[in-house]
Amino acid sequence: MSEPTSPADSHGPITRVGAPSSTAAHDPDSGHDDHGDDHGSHGGIGQYLAVFAALCGLTTMSFLTYSSVWPWRDQPHVGWAFMMAVSCTKAMLVVLFFMHVLWEANWKFVLTIPAAMMAIFLALMLVPDVGLRNRMVAQERLLHMARPSDLILMERAAEAQLLADPAAH
Amino acid sequence: MNASAPSIPHGHDDRDAHGHDDHGGGQGHIVLQYQPGLPLSKGKLIMWLFLSTEIMFFAALLGSYVVLRFGAAVWPKPHHVHLSEPIGAFNTFVLICSSVTIVLAFEAAKANKVAMAKNWMLATLLLGSLFLGIKGYEYSAKFSHGIYPSQPHSRIYEKPDLYYGSAVRARLDELRKVPVGLVPAGWREAADRSAEAGGTVDLLKRLDEAPAEKLSAEQQTARGRLQKVQKMLTNPGQQPFDLAVVADQVMPLPSEGTGSHGGHASGLNDAFPWLRLPAVIPGGNMWASTYFLLTGFHAIHVAVGLLVFAILLTYRLDRKRAGMIENAGLYWHFVDLVWIFLFPLLYLF
Repeated sequence: MSEPTSPADSHGPITRVGAPSSTAAHDPDSGHDDHGDDHGSHGGIGQYLAVFAALCGLTTMSFLTYSSVWPWRDQPHVGWAFMMAVSCTKAMLVVLFFMHVLWEANWKFVLTIPAAMMAIFLALMLVPDVGLRNRMVAQERLLHMARPSDLILMERAAEAQLLADPAAH
Repeated sequence: MNASAPSIPHGHDDRDAHGHDDHGGGQGHIVLQYQPGLPLSKGKLIMWLFLSTEIMFFAALLGSYVVLRFGAAVWPKPHHVHLSEPIGAFNTFVLICSSVTIVLAFEAAKANKVAMAKNWMLATLLLGSLFLGIKGYEYSAKFSHGIYPSQPHSRIYEKPDLYYGSAVRARLDELRKVPVGLVPAGWREAADRSAEAGGTVDLLKRLDEAPAEKLSAEQQTARGRLQKVQKMLTNPGQQPFDLAVVADQVMPLPSEGTGSHGGHASGLNDAFPWLRLPAVIPGGNMWASTYFLLTGFHAIHVAVGLLVFAILLTYRLDRKRAGMIENAGLYWHFVDLVWIFLFPLLYLF
C-alpha cells in the first residue's frame, strides 16, 4: 500500500533514459492527477451515486424473492438463478466502477481472469468428493445423518401439537 | 530494487540481453523509453495480486459451501436457524454505503480536499463498525438458540432419535442438581444464600412449585408442557414419534411463511432460556459450520479493513495519500463483493 516515493522507485531496475518530462505520463505517481481528470470525464461522483442507486435497487430485487410478492415461491430454483444473476450484476458494478477496472489498462485481465478461472475450477473440483458424498453412504451413516424424513417427522409433530393444544401455538 | 538512476552502460547490458543493440558504442542516438510491464504503481499491483489470492480463498470457501449445501440430504431453511432476512438485507445496504463513502474519500483526497476526505473515511469506518455490530448481534441470537459451530456449546441434534432423547434427559438431570452459584437470576431464593458453596438446587422442582403469579401466561403453559415432556421421556412405552414431539416442544421449526420474526416464540427454550435443552435442526450442524466459517472469515476481513481505515485516519489525507486510499478502497470493495454473494447464499437460498 506504500506509495512510491520517487518515480525511479516505482519502476524496476531499468529506468527511463530519456528526459523525465517526456515520460511523465507513464509515471503512476504523477499519473494519479492525470487519471483524476480522466475519472472526472467518466462521470465522477454523479456516476458513483448512480451505481450506488443501482446497487440498492438490485439488493431490493433479490430481497423480493423472500417476500410474498415473488410469484415462484414453490420453485426455489427460479429464485436462486435470479439471485445469482442479481449478485453477478452487483459484483460487476462494484468491480467496474468502484474498483475503477473499467478505466484500467489491459493488465486487469492478466490478474483477474486467471484468478476467476482458478476459482471456478476449485469449486468444480469439490463436486465429485464433497458434492456427491451423499449419493452412496454407509448404512451406519444413513442411521445418524439427517434425512428429509426427519423434517417431515418434525412437521407432523408440530401439526399433532397444533391439534392437541392449539392455544400453545 | 535498484532505485538509483542507472548509468548508460547498465542500460546497455539490458539492451544486449534483449538483442536491441548489437553495437556497444553508439548510445548517444538511442533514446530509450522504459515501458513498465504493468502500467500501475507497485502498491496497487501488490494489492491486486493479493486480491487475486483472496478471490481464490473465498472461492474455496463459497464453493465448499455451495457444494456441501446442495450435496446435503437436508439443509435447514433460513428461519429454521433463526436467520433474519431483513437484518441481512440491511447489513448489505450498510456495506454498499461504506463502499460509496470510501470511493468518495478517494475522490476528495485526489482533489486535495483534506477535511472532506477525512470525513468520508470516518463515515466508512463507522459504517464498517455498524456492520460488525449487527453481525455480532446476529451471532448472539444464534448462540442464544444453542447454535454454535461445534461442541461443547452446540445444542443442535440432527434428528429426533434415541440419542436426542437421552441428551434431553441428561440435561433435565443436570437441571435437578444446579450448583447454587449457577442458579439463574430471578430463581434464587433466600435459602440459597445460607446454603454452603457445595449445595445444589433442583430447578425443575422450584419451577413446579413457583406461584402462578411469578410466571407470565406463556410461561405457565410452558411449565405444563415441560411436565408433559418429562413424562414422555420417561414413559416405558415411548414411541419414536414422541421424540419428535419433544423436539417440537423444545424448539419448533417455524413453518414456511411465518414472517420475519420466525414465529417460534412458543418453544420451551424461549419461555425459559436457562433450560438450554438440546434442540433438533435437521442439517443444522453442517449449516452452523459453514455459516460461522463464511461469515467469520468475512468479519475478520471487515475488521482488518477497519484497522486500515483507523490507521489512514491518522494521516493527512491529501493528494499524496490518494494512492493509499485507493488501495485500501480496493480491499474494501472486495470485502463488499464477498458479502454481495454471501447474503443471498446464506439468507435467501
